[in-house]
Amino acid sequence: MPTVPALDISGIEKRFGEQRALAGVGFQVPQSGIFGLLGPNGAGKTTLLRMLNGITAPDAGSISFFGEPLTRAHLPSIGYLPEERGLYKSMRVGEQALYFAQLRGLDKKEARERLRYWFDRLEVDGWWHKEVSEVSKGMAQKIQFILSVLHEPRLLILDEPLSGFDPINAQRIREAILELKAKGDTTILLSTHDMGSVEEMCDEVALLNRGQLVLNGKVPELREAARDGRYAVTFRDTVMAFTVALGASAELIEVNPNPEVPGEHLAMLRLPSESDIATWVRWISEQVELTSCTPWRPGMRDIFIRAVEHQKQPVA
Amino acid sequence: MNKQALIIYREWITRVRRRAFIIGTLMVPVLLGLGVGLGVWLENAEMEENNVLVVDLSGMITFWDDTRLAYLPICPECFPEREQLEYRFADVALSDDEFLLSDFTSMVLLDDAILQHGQAKNLYEKSPSITAQNAIERDLAAAIERFKVKEELALDYEVYKRLKTKVSLVGEDIITKDGNATGRSIIGFVFSLFMFMQIMVYGMHVMRGVIEEKANRIVEVIISVVRPMELLAGKIIGIGLVGVTQVIALTVLGFLVFQVGGQALEVSGVLTSASNEAVELDFETWMASNDLLGFVLEVNWPLMVVCALAYFAAGFFMYAALFAAIGSAVEQESDAQYLMLPAMLPLFAAYITAVMAIQNPEGQVAVIGSFVPLTAPVLMLIRLPLGVAWWELVLSLLGVLATAYGFVLVSARIFRTGILMHGKKITVRELFRWVRHD
Repeated sequence: MPTVPALDISGIEKRFGEQRALAGVGFQVPQSGIFGLLGPNGAGKTTLLRMLNGITAPDAGSISFFGEPLTRAHLPSIGYLPEERGLYKSMRVGEQALYFAQLRGLDKKEARERLRYWFDRLEVDGWWHKEVSEVSKGMAQKIQFILSVLHEPRLLILDEPLSGFDPINAQRIREAILELKAKGDTTILLSTHDMGSVEEMCDEVALLNRGQLVLNGKVPELREAARDGRYAVTFRDTVMAFTVALGASAELIEVNPNPEVPGEHLAMLRLPSESDIATWVRWISEQVELTSCTPWRPGMRDIFIRAVEHQKQPVA
Repeated sequence: MNKQALIIYREWITRVRRRAFIIGTLMVPVLLGLGVGLGVWLENAEMEENNVLVVDLSGMITFWDDTRLAYLPICPECFPEREQLEYRFADVALSDDEFLLSDFTSMVLLDDAILQHGQAKNLYEKSPSITAQNAIERDLAAAIERFKVKEELALDYEVYKRLKTKVSLVGEDIITKDGNATGRSIIGFVFSLFMFMQIMVYGMHVMRGVIEEKANRIVEVIISVVRPMELLAGKIIGIGLVGVTQVIALTVLGFLVFQVGGQALEVSGVLTSASNEAVELDFETWMASNDLLGFVLEVNWPLMVVCALAYFAAGFFMYAALFAAIGSAVEQESDAQYLMLPAMLPLFAAYITAVMAIQNPEGQVAVIGSFVPLTAPVLMLIRLPLGVAWWELVLSLLGVLATAYGFVLVSARIFRTGILMHGKKITVRELFRWVRHD
């Protein structure tokens, strides 16, 4: 039986004066995975995230939350970590955490227990009684992350959750996000420009540009679909010998020594689409020592750039 | 605790527990108490041991007592017994050396000339305190007055006292039957000044709070849980309650200081009857009989405090809504200045009017101002101690409440848009657009 999507966004329109921030955006976010919301600055991501949080309302279109029209009653089931985030400087860490937890609907005792777990999990314990003005930026960000997940939301919206962290703490947060995904109770909507994180964590993505949806789908499928006939080839021979052998059978895009295997070279080449790759491999192997030949799938970074650059049409 | 109450509590508790708030609140009555205590202490401490030899060269105020073999005052009650001041009398002055060797601290020389120019020479090695000098002067004046009454007027002193007349004007409002307008208008001004400062200070708190939440994006997290209007109301109520807490704390502390200070003054024995220093009075009777301070007891304090709280609540809501709207429209405090000026003008106008109204609280400007909602919280309080008809009070307060309600509605429209706006300088025209746009 097909499950209801966590979010079903349909035909969303939003204007700010003369500026059209979202123009008929629609996509679905499946339950229990990590969904990447991508797009260059000014694409309309923040506007959409604010709609999901009930901060702003769409001019047109609809949003369903687990099969029901999204209303303020659903907001306690949503966790939100905005990109630019802060805490009250004059409050102590613990009381501030309790305050936000209670605002999210937890009672004090329950909030205290959950906070104890998360403070321990992200190594923030020991800072409970400190004023926020005394804690480091990274520590404050960890606290903010905790505040967004504490009430165990059905939908967790994370806007650039890893920015500003050192590699060790970024890894801790990454692990925490993957742990939430593994539990299966939380659908995570991840807005980020870090394409490495997208490839590592996201199951599906939607790419917005100029207020429009330009790409939507599962990450492996998008990468597969973006293949353009390029292959990564390694060989043991001189570059000259390889180039001569190649002749006109393929377009050599790039060739470099393989830093990991001495005496080996790494080449990127594009074969004509009609080529039979197995025949071509046999043929070239007779002339140079070919050690591997694998189809090259563009990364999300390349897909992002290509999609954005191809969408030249200005939004009316 | 529901979300609104949580926001109110956070706004309140994070401010009332600040050291600056506690010190600021305690300082006023403590300084007042210290001032009173210091005065009492100086009154006693300053009066060192004074052993005064009064040399009556004229024989006007002393006589030789054969039984006690000493010169004694004709009027003993003119020289009452005091702890730090003791008199001895003589008809011949000591030489300088004799004086220096004696245990006298002062030697006052009294001759007939005192009747012409009213001056007596006081010789000392170390100048007596002002308090001691005043006491000696009062005592000598009383003794000489008795001499004059008897010798020059040939009157019995008791008869003279009955003839002696003092007139002071006792004002009374023909309608309210209340008196002492000047003293009361000073009380009113103190309340007005306090109201002006409270609205300013806590209005600024609201503005800063909004700017802080907007600048660090906390607001985005909060309004994903509560409506902007709930956040705005919670913030204004919470900070308003800080002001109310301060008013209540100051009222209680002021009352305690009044009581404790009064007790201290009573114990010190400095509260004496103006007509007869030998008669010690309790604090309340002393206040009531004091020309300068008597009006303090005539003021209807419960009414003043209740009205101050009511006007503070309504007035604060009115201005806080304005300041919140301004805070939501700017990125940082320095950007708020050009919007703050027009918002604060009525408040400053009210303050200036209040200063001018001390002399005449029932003047036309103050009366009109006490009905104009933007100035009423400051100007009604200066009129209140002199007596204001109940319908005037109700009308004025309703005006402030209605305006506050309107301001909150308008402010909420600006607030809900402004708090999410970043990187754009907002013009007044744009603010009007936000208000019109539903």
